[in-house]
Amino acid sequence: MEFAAKIGFYGVAAATLAGAWFTVSARNLFRAALGLALALFGVAGLFLYMEAEFLAAVQLLVYVGAILTLMIFGIMLTHRIADPNLKKWNRQSGRAGIVSAVIGVGLSAIFLKASWNQSGADFPPVPVPFLGRAILTTQLLAFELLSLLLLGALVGSLYIARKEKRC
Amino acid sequence: MLIPTSHILVVSAGLFALGLFGALTRRNAVGILMSIELILNSANLNLIAFSRSWGTQQADLQVAVLIVIGIAAAGAVAGLALILAISRHRQTIQADEIKELKG
Repeated sequence: MEFAAKIGFYGVAAATLAGAWFTVSARNLFRAALGLALALFGVAGLFLYMEAEFLAAVQLLVYVGAILTLMIFGIMLTHRIADPNLKKWNRQSGRAGIVSAVIGVGLSAIFLKASWNQSGADFPPVPVPFLGRAILTTQLLAFELLSLLLLGALVGSLYIARKEKRC
Repeated sequence: MLIPTSHILVVSAGLFALGLFGALTRRNAVGILMSIELILNSANLNLIAFSRSWGTQQADLQVAVLIVIGIAAAGAVAGLALILAISRHRQTIQADEIKELKG
């Protein structure tokens, strides 16, 4: 049982990274969006493995349900998504590849080497009512600021994306 | 713990590196936006992994993740509005063809 759970975890992690690779490497932007969907589903699965069920649900609702739909609308509303003559990466791809590979491998090496002060005791997952209480008591300011930010993004993006009048 | 914390951190480092590569090299502006979403996801993964392995104030860290998700949504909305305006104005969203501040 434990072995099966471990295999499942590494499978979900591999699917997440594969989706991320599709996102950055697909020539057709619509396929990149599908890769992003795979990566976001994978992250939700990893949340489930870490017993954060509420966050997994929020991840699916907000990312896959809202942001991804918005991205696909954006892809369809803009021009030339599937033009085979367009290059997918710019001229810096070699250097950027080296830099990000160094950062990724270096970070992974540090993460695997460091001793993470694990007490060994398994902490019980936090129940959802605790989350609600934290949002409305200790984290209230951040929560209200977030709602203000979302309102600003709504109004501002409507203003930016409106049809300009010819004058 | 079933899965060691370091393995989750390695997955998130991989997500971060791929997102960084995409944000640096994609020519299409929507592609850059999607890569930035990948980077934010790797940060969320790290937060949850640490909240699992230390256990103190787990609820506060999970609320932080909720707020990061909300900020990512706001960022995606604003970015897509800008991309839509640029595409209407310049007929292109290839990031290296947009060179002028005042078009």
